[in-house]
Amino acid sequence: MSEENLSILSLILNASVLVQAVMAILFLASAISWVMIIQRGMYLSAAQRDFRQFEETFWSGIDLNSLYREISEQQEENVAPTGIENIFRAGFGEFNRLVRLEKPDPDAVIESTDRAMRIALSREEESLGTHLPFLASVASVSPYIGLFGTVWGIMNSFRGLAMVQQATLATVAPGISEALIATAMGLFAAIPAVIAYNRYAALAERMNTSYETFADEFSSILYRQFHAR
Amino acid sequence: MSRILSYVIGAVVSAVLHVGVIVALWANWQPSSETVYLQPKYVVAELVQLAPRAPGVSKEKKTSVTSDQLARKKKRQLEERERKRRADKRRDDAEKAALAKRKKRQDEERAALEKRQLEERQRVEREQQQAEWEDMLAQEEAQMDAQEDQRAANSYRQIIQQRLSENWSRPPSARRNMEAQVRIQLVPTGRVVGVSIIKSSGDAAFDRSVEQAVRKAHQFIELQAMDSRLFELKFRSVDVAFSPEDLRL
Repeated sequence: MSEENLSILSLILNASVLVQAVMAILFLASAISWVMIIQRGMYLSAAQRDFRQFEETFWSGIDLNSLYREISEQQEENVAPTGIENIFRAGFGEFNRLVRLEKPDPDAVIESTDRAMRIALSREEESLGTHLPFLASVASVSPYIGLFGTVWGIMNSFRGLAMVQQATLATVAPGISEALIATAMGLFAAIPAVIAYNRYAALAERMNTSYETFADEFSSILYRQFHAR
Repeated sequence: MSRILSYVIGAVVSAVLHVGVIVALWANWQPSSETVYLQPKYVVAELVQLAPRAPGVSKEKKTSVTSDQLARKKKRQLEERERKRRADKRRDDAEKAALAKRKKRQDEERAALEKRQLEERQRVEREQQQAEWEDMLAQEEAQMDAQEDQRAANSYRQIIQQRLSENWSRPPSARRNMEAQVRIQLVPTGRVVGVSIIKSSGDAAFDRSVEQAVRKAHQFIELQAMDSRLFELKFRSVDVAFSPEDLRL
């Protein structure tokens, strides 16, 4: 058996159709999951950064009305609002609208503001968690797909072994080696997906808690403001 | 906007990563390892000749030898007769001479007698030679037979050796310099009727494995083809030496 025939690529090319299909699926899963990993990574780190920035400006004692205006202007300039800004805008907008009414009922105002913020919050939660289920399923399923390809390949290679008279290691070794590539690819797809999923799920959870905390704090500030009048 | 951008960046990075992997595979990148494929080199010794050599061959040789011998004998007889005749003639001459010359008769007679004696002696000698020759021939034949036997015996030995080594599972305690000798009792059907260790290796497990191997072999069915003379001569009981490197008879 020459060295040339055992290069991984030639093993892949010489594999049986089913094993090749398995490999193709895994390769595709890996490619897509990497797209998700990078996109999610960028999105989540941006959300984190924006949250920090917003909190800084928010607690710096800036006038809430001017902050609100600033954000609204940004949106008109077609700059997408970040998660925390969305929540702030939803809550503050609702509050302003209700306060301007004649004889506003304090409970109703606060409750309505809370509701608006809760809606924005759940929307943000949703967008934080997008693609994470995909990563989770790649992480958990692709080793099994790879294993299936391997089992199939080894099965075939042993069936071939049964037909030859003198069985040496060299008769089965290429088949098994070829089959094992499927498992390797499954792991190649799964490992980054597992790591990314765990990391991003934790991050999304944390962001979510931060948003909720902010919403509560903001709500209490508005409540105080309303009663201080 | 920025969301789409992030997807694009993700796609590009992912594509680069995967293309990189493919290129690495294409360039046959492998962790630097020297692959040495060790394939077992079998020297398969096959038994070409199982049965003792066909008796026809050796017989043919024998007959050719005998015909040769016969011719030689005949020739010799002829020569002898000739010589005799000549001697007779000479004797007649001598008698005539004796008659003619009585004076010299006694001398002549003595000479003739001497000559006859000499001839007689020569003949005896020649006969002896021939007997010797025949003896030698017989010896040679016996030797050839023995060789034949030896060859057949060797081929059977090989069979036994092969079967035993197939059935022998060496215990882990086996060491290179261990050797155990067993005596196997066989019957003409090739069945093993008795095993006894005649020289222990010193390791009980090893001895047991050896005995087990013989018991597992159970019957050497090929021995049925052997002629009974050879069997009685050499295979009634066979000594086998087991040592971990190989198996010798």
